[in-house]
Amino acid sequence: MTLTFAASKYAPAPAAAKPSTSRKLRRTLTGWAFAGPATLIVVGLSLFPAVWAFFISRTKWNGIAQPTDIGWANYERLAQDPDLAAAAQHTLVLTVLFVPGSIVLGLLLAIALNQRIRLIGFYRTCIFVPYVASAAATGILAGYVFNPQFGLANDVLRRAGLPAQQFLESPRQALVVVCIVALWGEVGFTSVVYLAALQDVPKELIEAATVDGAGKWRVLRSVTLPQLRPVTLFATVWQTITALQLFDLIYTTTRGGPMNSTQTVVYYVYELAFQTRRLGYGAAVAYILFAVTLLLTALVIWRSRRSGEEAF
Amino acid sequence: MMLIPNRGSRRTSMVAGVTGLALLLGACGGGGSKADNGKDAAEGYDPAAQVTLTWWTGQPSEGEQKAEELAAEYMKAHPNVTIKTSSGAATTDDLLTKLSAGFTSNSYPDISYGYGSWAGELATSGKTQDLAKFVADPSFGWQEIPAAARETATYDGKVIGVPALVDNLALIYNKKLFDDAHVAYPTDQWSWDDFRAAAKKLTNPSQNLYGTAYSVSGSEDTTWHLWPMLWQRGGKILDGNKPAFNSEAGVGALELLRAMAVDDKSMYLDQTDEQYAKLFNDGRIGMMMSGPWALLEIKEAGLDYGVAQLPGYNGDHQTVSGPDLWVLFDHNDANRAGASRDFIKWLTSKETDAKWNLAIGNLPLRSSEQGTPEFAAYVKEYPGGQKFFENLANAKQARPTVAGYEEMSRNVGDGISKVLQGAAKPKEALDEAAKKSAGAIE
Repeated sequence: MTLTFAASKYAPAPAAAKPSTSRKLRRTLTGWAFAGPATLIVVGLSLFPAVWAFFISRTKWNGIAQPTDIGWANYERLAQDPDLAAAAQHTLVLTVLFVPGSIVLGLLLAIALNQRIRLIGFYRTCIFVPYVASAAATGILAGYVFNPQFGLANDVLRRAGLPAQQFLESPRQALVVVCIVALWGEVGFTSVVYLAALQDVPKELIEAATVDGAGKWRVLRSVTLPQLRPVTLFATVWQTITALQLFDLIYTTTRGGPMNSTQTVVYYVYELAFQTRRLGYGAAVAYILFAVTLLLTALVIWRSRRSGEEAF
Repeated sequence: MMLIPNRGSRRTSMVAGVTGLALLLGACGGGGSKADNGKDAAEGYDPAAQVTLTWWTGQPSEGEQKAEELAAEYMKAHPNVTIKTSSGAATTDDLLTKLSAGFTSNSYPDISYGYGSWAGELATSGKTQDLAKFVADPSFGWQEIPAAARETATYDGKVIGVPALVDNLALIYNKKLFDDAHVAYPTDQWSWDDFRAAAKKLTNPSQNLYGTAYSVSGSEDTTWHLWPMLWQRGGKILDGNKPAFNSEAGVGALELLRAMAVDDKSMYLDQTDEQYAKLFNDGRIGMMMSGPWALLEIKEAGLDYGVAQLPGYNGDHQTVSGPDLWVLFDHNDANRAGASRDFIKWLTSKETDAKWNLAIGNLPLRSSEQGTPEFAAYVKEYPGGQKFFENLANAKQARPTVAGYEEMSRNVGDGISKVLQGAAKPKEALDEAAKKSAGAIE
């Protein structure tokens, strides 16, 4: 990116006086001097491991003994792995709960925070703070709040006369609780993005609609929401990626338990690669996750480009 | 956010791919040479040569400090040897990852701490020394170390290290809870039925009291508590290269645990590995199957406790031991190999081990340490220590030292945790675990 940019910027200048080869070379080198460090970092820390992981995914390797090449066997195993199917299902449930949840909540909060009331800056900060806190800290705190014996959540239920729940220790509830905690942490992000977008909605449109006799609800539905569509698209893709990659929260709350009910695909990869040391198979699962994420994103962008939105 | 590649980035990624491939091939070429050529790693060792050894102790701060003191003591007596001591990784669990990275980059230590369950994998690295001849020398006193620990250090006839720590599981009980419920204390003659009956009597849901506890995290902590019960019934973990824990013995053992957890509800099921010991120390759990490592915190909690050997099946009270090892690595340097052997021999000798394991609250490595003043001090400080020491004799079998044990353990742990939470029957859970593990053990 930097390279193209630099080249196009300097391109018109040489048209006047034809440069000598040494000047051309110097320019190329200057360009690379700027782009080089970043390129090296990207190649060394992202692309090289990614390519290496592909080679690992075609081996049986525990990280210690010599790897044995087994071709596509790891990928063939993917199809018949019940644990992977369960993990994929958990990831899907999490995504389906988390993405619409964070968008609807984010939008509602943004509309609330867009009012002209006293101390609005303070409220805005409050909503954003959980997003800034590390997911690890959030997870540890959630562990205290949702502890079945001594936690605050059960205390509240007891006072309300409701039966105590097992929360993170129940295979049925754990995933939902993880999702709620994730929402608490991430909703600050979508609300800030929506807040910025709301302030970009042209005033004239709203005024025109009001003059035409539209009520508040109608303005929101017919003017504001359509104006927010590119942001919604961006938030959907972004939050989907966040949900698919959710790891730290699960690690600090349930470690995939109880009975693997919160084991998502990412956590399964971690478990395969670093707990039971099946690096080859783990890499194959990671590659499938990568392919699915890429496909989903490409699909969303392709659709949005076709309908003429400019979110990306 | 540019996710669809433009022309420029496609070219970059191609270049990166080629570079990556070249680097990968280079790495493979470098790691390909194996030290396993039949020659002893320390052949031609010159005890007077200047050597620098790297020692990863895998200890938390207190143990690490003690280790550094001992290394300094050794260096004083052997001025030609420099030992670089460090804990190696943030936690003992992380050591294996560090070692694995070290093997790839050729910067692994001379001596590292390692869990016994890693032995099979480390042995297949081709970077370990074979100490079989070295420990066979009578001056080493190999036979004084418990058999299960010696077996763990041995892979395919090769001895890859020296036991660093020995322990075992026994039954620790809270005397006050037994008194309150008017139940007689556990004895060394208890059967599992006695255990179940007592647990049921101790349980009191209204006061949040449980007879006993079991981890259902699905980790090795879940799995290895089942092994002694399997062995007592004449079962085996592996039969050759095939999982054999789903035999009648295994199913019977798991059925007893299931009945306690599901039917009697006398078992606190811990979703982590960390809660049940704390709840025991807190006086909420009557009995727990645990090891000598638990004694320090029990003592700090000021609990009045007793220790009995595990309940038995038909009079068989054998237990399981989880020995850890000092693994010795080969750097194609006879002097380093020889010096690391000499150091470990000194460290695990009767005299030094008393200053090491007993000082940091572990059981003594060698039976001969029983007469030392350090052992007397240890037993005085930890009243249960004597029983755990005697219980070493009940550790008759070892967990198999095979590559793939960790994966199998995970499958068995998942199965046990499902059964104890009422989501599966013992037979089907163990059969499934055996089926899943068949590919891992080869």
